[in-house]
Amino acid sequence: MSSVHAHGLGVSLPPEFEGRIFIRSRVAGERPFPVAHFATFPLPDGVGDFGGGAVNLMRPTDIFAVLFEYGPESLGTALFARSGMVRSLSTDDFRPTVLRRGLGGQSGTQWFFTEGGRPFTFYAVLGSHARRSTLVPRVNALLDGITVAAGAGAGGGSIPWN
Amino acid sequence: MVALVIILAVVVTLLAVLVAGLLRSHADILKALHDVGAGVGDPALDGVRAGHDHTGPGSTSGPLTIGPPLPAERDSVSAPTLAGVTPEGDARAIAVGNGDQLTLIAFLSSGCSTCANFWDAFARPEQLDLPDGVRPVVVTKGPELEIAGELRGRARVPVIMSTEAWGDYEVPGSPFFVLVDGRSGRRIGEGVANQFSQVADLVRRARVDAAGSRSDTGGPGPDPDPDSALDGPARELANDRVLRDAGILPGDASLYPRSLDDVFGPGAGRA
Repeated sequence: MSSVHAHGLGVSLPPEFEGRIFIRSRVAGERPFPVAHFATFPLPDGVGDFGGGAVNLMRPTDIFAVLFEYGPESLGTALFARSGMVRSLSTDDFRPTVLRRGLGGQSGTQWFFTEGGRPFTFYAVLGSHARRSTLVPRVNALLDGITVAAGAGAGGGSIPWN
Repeated sequence: MVALVIILAVVVTLLAVLVAGLLRSHADILKALHDVGAGVGDPALDGVRAGHDHTGPGSTSGPLTIGPPLPAERDSVSAPTLAGVTPEGDARAIAVGNGDQLTLIAFLSSGCSTCANFWDAFARPEQLDLPDGVRPVVVTKGPELEIAGELRGRARVPVIMSTEAWGDYEVPGSPFFVLVDGRSGRRIGEGVANQFSQVADLVRRARVDAAGSRSDTGGPGPDPDPDSALDGPARELANDRVLRDAGILPGDASLYPRSLDDVFGPGAGRA
């Protein structure tokens, strides 16, 4: 099992998963935060934050997942009220209507939460909703290997609290 | 006279300490050799015999290997996931066995002069002239041995810094190339080259070989049969059989190339 760590995020990847943890370059006054992509297929370069350019490459047996961090201004808001990342999903948590990009046959799930004083969303896509009973346990194995360090924030520096 | 005796006694004592230290050092070395599997005898059973009775009953001998094994000495074709950091400080893991594609792993260093050609080639991936379905990845040693700043922007293909990957793939030095079949998750080719055109040619040949292997086993498509990826002695026997069928018998001159020209053809050995 391979492990990677960067920007206060870490993951022990289950078999066949690959991934990357990165921070996009700053554009204008934007302050980017860490993004992690995980997939059971070769991740191309230039994938959008939520899988644009990748989900269209998925086979029915594939999984794509994103862990996306938001800025500290999101802390304390109702959307991120859940404490701690979801660690176990059921097949009922995935729905064809929960997709950023609705591709036929796929289904997805999205969770907003706060962990380690950092606001996140976890978004996962299954290549085939019909195969969710075999794919969801693999998503859970991925979730089980994700670690979040407290308050690392963008660029590994401290988050300026208001 | 008394002073001379005292001095001699001190000198003898110092020499005794020195000899004892040397003997202790010798024992430590023998123990270390045992730990790496190259020792003689079993210190757990007979610590005195080790190093003194190399031919006696019960003694064993083993090969002493320094550095990664050479290609001919390997018995592994496994291809573990490449995981490390990027020169930009991000994390990256590439699973080479999760698709239908081939992955060309280039083990390069920032400092080696031969690698410069390949860094230049990977800076223009659209001109690599690789067959479709081949995913190039550059792997350097980790940040503890390479300076990330010197690698930043040198390639427009994924670059992973991981010393562990060099060990996993038994890389003898740089540049070194490994071709992995994504379907079987196994290495189907590896070696060195002076120019990227030679690497591209080797990749094309590997694809043809893989297609031939596939058709030999009755399988469809150009991808190699995962079950045909042999290991260890079985792989060696299969290689011998293929060579024998091709009329290449033990002692054949083609098995002992003396220059790169013998391997790649006239002119190819000149970088």
